[in-house]
Amino acid sequence: MKIFPFSLFTLETSPPILITETFPDANQSIKNSTMAKRSSSSSLLISPLSLFLPRGDSLLYLIALLSLFSLLVHRLSASPTTAQSHFEGFDADEDEDFVLDESNDAVVPPLRSTPPPPLSLSQPTSESHHGPPDSDSDPIIKSPSSDPDPNLSSKSASTAFDYWDEDEFEGVPQHLTPETSEITVSASGSESDLTPQKSEVPEVEVPRKLTSYSVEIVCVSFLIMFTVNYFTGKKENENLALAWASKFANKDSIFDKNFSLLGVGENEDSPLLLKEGQNVFKFYASGRRFCSGVLATMELKSRHDFISRLYNMVVPCKDEITFEVYMNDDAMDQVVFALARKKLAKTMQKEAGDLQRFAGLVAPPNGRKWVAEELQVVSESKEVAGDLITDAVLDQVFGEKPFEKYGKGFISIHFSDKHLGLNKKMLVFKFALPDANHMADMTRLVALVPYYIDLIGRYKLSSHARSKTEAARLKIAQEIQKELQNARNEALQKKKAEQRKKLEETEAKLSAEALRKKEAKERARQMKKAMPKIKMSRAN
Amino acid sequence: MASQSNDPRQPSAARPYKPSVVAPQDLPVDYSGFIAVVFGVFGAMFRYKLCSWLAIIFCAQSLANMRNVENDLKQISMAMMFGIMGLVTNYMGLGPRASPKK
Repeated sequence: MKIFPFSLFTLETSPPILITETFPDANQSIKNSTMAKRSSSSSLLISPLSLFLPRGDSLLYLIALLSLFSLLVHRLSASPTTAQSHFEGFDADEDEDFVLDESNDAVVPPLRSTPPPPLSLSQPTSESHHGPPDSDSDPIIKSPSSDPDPNLSSKSASTAFDYWDEDEFEGVPQHLTPETSEITVSASGSESDLTPQKSEVPEVEVPRKLTSYSVEIVCVSFLIMFTVNYFTGKKENENLALAWASKFANKDSIFDKNFSLLGVGENEDSPLLLKEGQNVFKFYASGRRFCSGVLATMELKSRHDFISRLYNMVVPCKDEITFEVYMNDDAMDQVVFALARKKLAKTMQKEAGDLQRFAGLVAPPNGRKWVAEELQVVSESKEVAGDLITDAVLDQVFGEKPFEKYGKGFISIHFSDKHLGLNKKMLVFKFALPDANHMADMTRLVALVPYYIDLIGRYKLSSHARSKTEAARLKIAQEIQKELQNARNEALQKKKAEQRKKLEETEAKLSAEALRKKEAKERARQMKKAMPKIKMSRAN
Repeated sequence: MASQSNDPRQPSAARPYKPSVVAPQDLPVDYSGFIAVVFGVFGAMFRYKLCSWLAIIFCAQSLANMRNVENDLKQISMAMMFGIMGLVTNYMGLGPRASPKK
């Protein structure tokens, strides 16, 4: 009875499992049947069948309702203790069967009164141990394959019951010890705990328990590590962001001197940083000439996420801060310019839309101080590049020597009046953040932000360059327009084709009669159309 | 630096921060949530407890990376349900675990 659902578990998917699991249960509660093998589930089906045969639908409803109810009952009583009590009841029933069959009334009662504790100790364990790993669905085949007892292996299921009972009556102590020893040997597969064997072999239990729970131990400890790491990593990230804010956005700091409004709120003492998720912090500043605002987004490592942290041990990444300066529309001339390390500059030139359209790699000019060797300028023209890379910048950051010292955190700068998105005119600075104790390292990099806002705000292209850039922009605008037009045309054609298809379909659906009518109507209309023309021609 | 001789600040031009609205479909894909759902379904269907455990772990990751509470919670809770269901059926659905006799 117990073996039957177990063996099905391993073979089938969950919904049938639930049903097979619960049918015997329902059976038991309704009929309290004596034998509960495969026939038991069919007996449940047959009994209502005889009652409700004339009403076909109601029978199905009843079965569905019954199975649902039994499912519910089983779910409610899913806890191990209650389930165990059910099965114990079954054991007792089976015993009684046997008793009736053998008609050994005189001998049984005194024996039964004493051995029950060992019986219920040994029996469920042997079954629950050999049940799950074995995939056979038939208990008759199953019992010989799993049970080590040589007597059992040769006999049928009913005789197996006999032998179990014999065990309990006569050879309980002898049979218990081999069984338990066998269990400890073949333990590995099943995940049940071995508490009932406490009296027999407690010292062998412990290693078996540990190995069988290895998955759980690993997973739970991983979860615990994950949780601990979540809080520590979160704190770390917050500390880093706060260190940055206190260094650059506090009173008399570089942002305080340049912007009248700091922080993400409306008023003065609003919070400086806005936290998005656990590893993204935003800082906003506004109220400065030439620009409407600066949004600094700190994207820190996912320190709070243990899995990402492990991944970052293999593939390291940096804490990044991105400044987006939204320039006023009148304050930025037609400038497309980018500066980054060589490899990144090339990919930027290929991937960023505006750089791809307007700009190309600019070779270092002769006879002039230029940026450090590892850097690459991408710009619309040489003139723009030369004007934006001033001597001051070269002295401070981008020259050969200062870049060695201060350029570690530099990733890229990208100025463009043709950015994608809402803000077209934007300066984007990307830097890597140093750790919380060395925030001063990036002071010069941060100082680039207000410097370039002023530089670009004041910058005016020469008339020659301007005419060039305007021509380029016009050309590209036309191209875009063309593309748009093409796309629109395509969409229109597609729509038309679809409509035609629909019309044809509906026409095909109409009956021949309707079709003829329609055609006649059409002809009449065309005749009507034709008539006045003839008249007109006559009049003329 | 050179160009900051006078005060560049203009309080009148200050504009408060407006968080940019991101459409739900533009949000970054929650891979860990997706993986959690896959593992959860797998664990519940085929009764692999390792799958269910992995589902729970990825649920935790997804939960840790959650940004938008209303949006993400649905998916995560679904994955969590699958994971927990898998575990419950794994550890309890097998019927009587041999427990000490009362």
